[in-house]
Amino acid sequence: MKGVTAAQPDRNIRDPRPFLIGLGRGAAGAMLFGIPMLMTMELWQLGFYVDRGRLFLLLVVNIPLLVVLAHRIGFEHTSTWAEACRDAVIAYGLGILMSAAVLLMLGDLKTHMPLSEILGKIAMQAVPASIGALLGRSQLTGQADGGKDDDLGGSLHGGDSGGKEGDAVPNTLSTSYSRELFLMGVGALFLSLNVAPTEEIILISFKMTPWHALACIAMSIAIMHGFVYAVAFKGTHEIPEGTPWWHAFFRFTLPGYMVAMAISLYVLWTFGRLDDIAPTQVIMSAIVLSFPGAIGAAAARLIL
Amino acid sequence: MTNIISRPHTETEEPHWIEWVTGVVSSVLVIAIVAWVAYEAITEEKTPPDLGISMTKRSPVEGGYRIEFDIANKATTTAAAVTVRGEILEGGAVVEDADVTFDYVPAQSKSSGAILFSQDPGNRQVRIRAVGYTDP
Repeated sequence: MKGVTAAQPDRNIRDPRPFLIGLGRGAAGAMLFGIPMLMTMELWQLGFYVDRGRLFLLLVVNIPLLVVLAHRIGFEHTSTWAEACRDAVIAYGLGILMSAAVLLMLGDLKTHMPLSEILGKIAMQAVPASIGALLGRSQLTGQADGGKDDDLGGSLHGGDSGGKEGDAVPNTLSTSYSRELFLMGVGALFLSLNVAPTEEIILISFKMTPWHALACIAMSIAIMHGFVYAVAFKGTHEIPEGTPWWHAFFRFTLPGYMVAMAISLYVLWTFGRLDDIAPTQVIMSAIVLSFPGAIGAAAARLIL
Repeated sequence: MTNIISRPHTETEEPHWIEWVTGVVSSVLVIAIVAWVAYEAITEEKTPPDLGISMTKRSPVEGGYRIEFDIANKATTTAAAVTVRGEILEGGAVVEDADVTFDYVPAQSKSSGAILFSQDPGNRQVRIRAVGYTDP
């Protein structure tokens, strides 16, 4: 791997090894990011009782999400949308395969189960696992991979610029901004999917008073802002000199929190947690779930 | 916009107007949510769970009889582990009873469930009531 350099971009096409290694990383990522959910009882149960229309919608929504994500961090250098689509399909496939394999190993899939239950369980897990497959591709990549990983590489070794925007069209204002919001959405979705199915989320919202909820909102927003701008993690964003701190706060943190909250509502709705629930309780659950969602959103901005 | 090419990321000094619009809309939403929750916090009086049950549908099932019902909690606190008992009464005496437990009946919300009897109540009186709950 160390021999592959940015100077030989064509090697990707002929040599299958980087692709196979990418596949392996994807599978590892699906496991790494999927295992907390694969071993959560509530998600197995959701597999058979979740409303089929909502499950279908989640599965469909996952496709464009994976495509855009793949466009950013593919299995290989993805410069075209066709390649991004291919990577998304591979990630989805890996997610389904790994979910099925792990569920089978855990004895959660049995031959006497009805087909709809088996499919439901796998489909439910495939969504986080497929996101994990793409993230794994990005996060398990070492710096030595150089040129192939120019999306990540771009952020790792500053000079390796261009990346998937390789044809050197500078990022336009709106695409970059919407991409930031999109990444926050992916991060929020990922962490939300992790915790939303558990009973604890609604239990916490029942235990909380509105005062607790207010504190939770303040804390979520503060953590989100602090994560990205104050404490220096890898990829930390910087506010240019002379710009007041509240510029970034209004343009990124607050919209990011709203994205996290929208994702929370969507995930809770998908899992049927909002049915016949009073609006106040709905907003309380969303506030609770937005807390991990906000952390996921902030982390996604740093990592991806 | 965020410059993702160089590291560390730097927010541009001249953001697009869409970014400000998004920011303003978001802050309005955040303020609205905070105001809503704060309003609840100030005005809400804690009332113990107030559970009302209404039967919605009766239908025969294999080996028995099903009575579906809604259970509504009009109070501002959530009840957990709500046990609902259904009884068939004949001349004031209980002929058959059956229990069902709800994990939660959230505040100001409703849940639904069903009680399964082994016999058709027919014209006899059916009583369904909540017999207890815990605080979550």
